[in-house]
Amino acid sequence: MQRPIATPLGTPIEALDTPALLVDTARLDAAIVAVQGPARAAVWVHGTPAIARLQTAHPGVSGIAVRSVAEAEVFAAAGFADIRILRPLVTERARSRAAALADTARLVFEDDLPVWGGDALAGAVGVSTRVTSVPEPGRAITDCGQKAVGRDFGDPVVAGHPEWRAHAGSAEHGVVLFDPAERALEIGDWLRFVPSDAATVFSLHDQACAVRDGVLEAVWPVSARGAF
Amino acid sequence: MIGTPIVELDTPVLLVDLDALEHNIGVIARHYSGRDSGRDSGRDSGRDSGGDAGRAIRLRPHGKNHKAPEILEMQVAAGGTVGGVCAAKVSEAEVFVDAGAGNVLIANQVVDPAKIRRLVALAGRVETTVAVDSGEQVALLARGAESSGTPLGVVIEVDTMMGRAGVRSVEQAVTLARRVVATPGLRFRVVMSHQVPRGPGDRAGRFSEGGRYIELALAAKRAIEDAGIDVDIVSTGESWTYDVAATYPEVTEIEGGTYVFMEVPYAYMREFRFALRVMGRVVARPDARTAIGDVPIDAIGAPNGLPTLEGPDGVTVTGIDHHGVVLSGNADLPFDVGDPFFLLTHQQDVTVNRWDRFVGVREGRVEKIIEAPARGCVH
Repeated sequence: MQRPIATPLGTPIEALDTPALLVDTARLDAAIVAVQGPARAAVWVHGTPAIARLQTAHPGVSGIAVRSVAEAEVFAAAGFADIRILRPLVTERARSRAAALADTARLVFEDDLPVWGGDALAGAVGVSTRVTSVPEPGRAITDCGQKAVGRDFGDPVVAGHPEWRAHAGSAEHGVVLFDPAERALEIGDWLRFVPSDAATVFSLHDQACAVRDGVLEAVWPVSARGAF
Repeated sequence: MIGTPIVELDTPVLLVDLDALEHNIGVIARHYSGRDSGRDSGRDSGRDSGGDAGRAIRLRPHGKNHKAPEILEMQVAAGGTVGGVCAAKVSEAEVFVDAGAGNVLIANQVVDPAKIRRLVALAGRVETTVAVDSGEQVALLARGAESSGTPLGVVIEVDTMMGRAGVRSVEQAVTLARRVVATPGLRFRVVMSHQVPRGPGDRAGRFSEGGRYIELALAAKRAIEDAGIDVDIVSTGESWTYDVAATYPEVTEIEGGTYVFMEVPYAYMREFRFALRVMGRVVARPDARTAIGDVPIDAIGAPNGLPTLEGPDGVTVTGIDHHGVVLSGNADLPFDVGDPFFLLTHQQDVTVNRWDRFVGVREGRVEKIIEAPARGCVH
């Protein structure tokens, strides 16, 4: 499992061990307020009970939606009592695992409410990264590659710098191409990658760093990560 | 779970075929132990310094590929290794050292002071080496290492084709080598480079393309020697050039990991077998030519194209998203709801990084669970 260097609440985001999954809580709050209910929150997108609690606190949201029995088990253990499982259960074993949850949660297998999906996280998710090498002018190598930001749905962009081109071409490295005449990136520089797909990023991290006003507000376990 | 027939397992599940894993580990172990190579196997440790003559090439197993100390132990026990590990990140190295790895090379640049503190702490436990490609990194490492009594090993990364980190010329390599040698607290260990194949996958293609990259790394090594600096490690080559690198007496080690599981783009290396599969189950049959399986994209990763379905003929993967995988064919598919299927990955380390453990199988049954505690160690 991940072993980032632990830092206390209140740490500036630039001082969090990189690469870190960052969730901007002000933007998350704004996205949640904007939901038109009634709906179920698609919590499989983030696998994070703390985010699911914020979503289900919205008056228009009743219950959550997950993909698998394994995800349902994680969220039931976290106290969620109304869970729709999206994937059909096709084996006796899967059905008996679901039945074992019936004491703690109401499980739904039919299409009942609209499922409110990935836009819950729109604009709120980033991955911090640091430049580790500038091997030639205009090319910076960073410590965030496919294993931290994902590439299944395309490359990330650098927050605040649409003029630079980023790619997670390697498993362990990110690459940022820039015009050295404009501004040169240097070893140690801190950047925020905005991923092409939020759900992919949550599938890669054990914890999310909730940040507000540029400092660490909370550390949220991605409890359902890997519960395929 | 031990002894369970694999078709009864909950899906999706990451399976490792133990016969194939052991076979793959044995291929490089035998080649580098000198038993089926023409090269003198030389001394046992591969960590001795001194001249190149009679010195064996060794495998430095790359931990990023399996994330599992148990598999590293299998590699080391099979022979022909450096007795240690290669890691991409400091946190990954810590997991393997905690589990008993004898030495570690971090094939990457480490620049942030908090991470350098952890790197220096690692050097106090086992022989630790890290890669640099600039004087700034050397200064940062020296600052972190100055108060510790243990020297931190440093290799110069040479870019041979990746366009990633690494010095871009022999002259840069020599200048940087002089700087490392002059820096207290650091111990110079020479050069390292990575390559991925671009050319044809036949043996001749591998030898000519791989040999070209290895020569670039060796040019830097020779220039550094000509400047009067002793060499120790020359690490160049990986799974796809394990046999190419063995023909160069100056190469001391390769960083190999893909070979333990293999992946679809390397299928042309027929001496290795596919050892890694994601098993899924059909959950829906929307029409005769289509089946939907329960393997979401985040359970296998698909940065370089769709995964490959292993049989039956005429059925292919035509799509994958966060909900599942689409299998399609021209005729009525031989799949009922509930039937298992097996996917092969095109980039095995990205797949492994999604799972906390492997289910080790032999002859169709679960034999053991292999934990992957370094999964997710991206720091």
